Amino acid sequence: MTLRRRLLDWILAAILIIAPALVLRANLRNGEPGSLDEAILRVTSPLQAAVTWIVEGIGGTWGRYVALVDVEAENRELRADNDRLRVQLADTARRAFDVEALEDLAQLRRQTRADTLGARVIAAPMSPQFRVLRLRIDRGEREVQVGMPVISFQGPVGRIQNVWGEYADVMLVSDPQSSIEVLIPRTGGRGILTGLGRGDSYACKIEWLERANRPEAKIEPGDAVVTSGLGATFPPGLAIGKVRQVLRDDGMFQHVEVEPSVNPGQVRVVEVLLAPPPPPDPESSVRRKNEPAFGGRPL
Amino acid sequence: MRTASLVLVAYLLCTVVTAMWRLWPVDAMRDALPHVGALTATYLGLNARTRIAPALAGSVALGYLLDLVGGGPVGFGALTLALAGLVAVGVQRRILVRGLTMTIAFCGFVGLVAAVLGVLVRVAYDVPRASFGTEVIFVLKASLSTAIIGPLVWRLFRRVDAAFARTHRERDAALEGLVP
Repeated sequence: MTLRRRLLDWILAAILIIAPALVLRANLRNGEPGSLDEAILRVTSPLQAAVTWIVEGIGGTWGRYVALVDVEAENRELRADNDRLRVQLADTARRAFDVEALEDLAQLRRQTRADTLGARVIAAPMSPQFRVLRLRIDRGEREVQVGMPVISFQGPVGRIQNVWGEYADVMLVSDPQSSIEVLIPRTGGRGILTGLGRGDSYACKIEWLERANRPEAKIEPGDAVVTSGLGATFPPGLAIGKVRQVLRDDGMFQHVEVEPSVNPGQVRVVEVLLAPPPPPDPESSVRRKNEPAFGGRPL
Repeated sequence: MRTASLVLVAYLLCTVVTAMWRLWPVDAMRDALPHVGALTATYLGLNARTRIAPALAGSVALGYLLDLVGGGPVGFGALTLALAGLVAVGVQRRILVRGLTMTIAFCGFVGLVAAVLGVLVRVAYDVPRASFGTEVIFVLKASLSTAIIGPLVWRLFRRVDAAFARTHRERDAALEGLVP
């Protein structure tokens, strides 16, 4: 190899070192791929995609169908984990449900002016159609008495029917023996709500609801029903439910069916009203003046 | 023609290795791709018979292709591989790379040099880089992965070289890894 050829070789080598450096500098400044770059990418991309597809396929097949050495042990561990987490989840859900019920109870206690006692539902005998017949609560002889009203966050539940030992049974508003004085706020009509005692629903009825020939006093399905507060049992204004249908209307009285707002199957905690709320102050709306002290009056 | 064939084979090998490397069983090594490009440039440099320009041209062409495919700044890989090729030319004149142990060690050295050159080029051109510790760990990992795969890559290249041999003697020399 002559000196001239060797020199030429080294010059070419130097150019091959310098050219990428210049291209890199230009590329860092500009950053846009040129038409040659795009053409090469257009040619090489399908090849790269094909290689990736083949390797992915081989790797996926290997991983999914062949390399399954530790899968059984891993499965066993995962099943054990799954069982443990299911139990944990059920426990957490139950606690969350209890907390929600207790929050409702606390709010109910704040809203109720009467003296109340919180109780937890511990049993609920059911009908053959899976409807709750009565509730059993964890309050006994030393705390509650027969006849005391029981309410929940959704509305009146019923009254204490039996008390023995540390427990008490609650007769539901849907029981045929239950009777509660109610009021239709829209019409002002009063009546007595009694249970229908159906095995497949908690429906109640109001008989002899006064209409007095007034068209505006006619009950419509969907009208709200609340406690009237008469009879010194339930506080006035507690929502009991809504009118589902008018059973009979003879022009003077109406008989309607009511759907209670409380679903006894979902009641977990209740409030027992120990004493009726104090009567409203008849002079609450009258403004009173302070009496002068010692006969003098401040300036 | 021989250099062009080697560059083409190296490009295909890079594509395959890049796609397959994520299936590597050791998690810690999955992010350290072996420097197939640097191995190719070094091979070309080691086997530069009398002229080094064709070897450097092959290195630059391969680096340019890898830059395009890898999405890096164009010229970065080309410059790195050209410098690696130049280092190999210098090595070829002083030591003989033969035998499995020597090949593995030299391939590890090639991976180290390529990774360090890459870092130096990024520093010189102010290309964003990781922290010093991360870069060092990555350089060592890349060196290790290059050492692992290097002998196989070079054996493949020798097969390609042997295909271009004109005589039996040249063929045997190519398969032995000797510069004819």
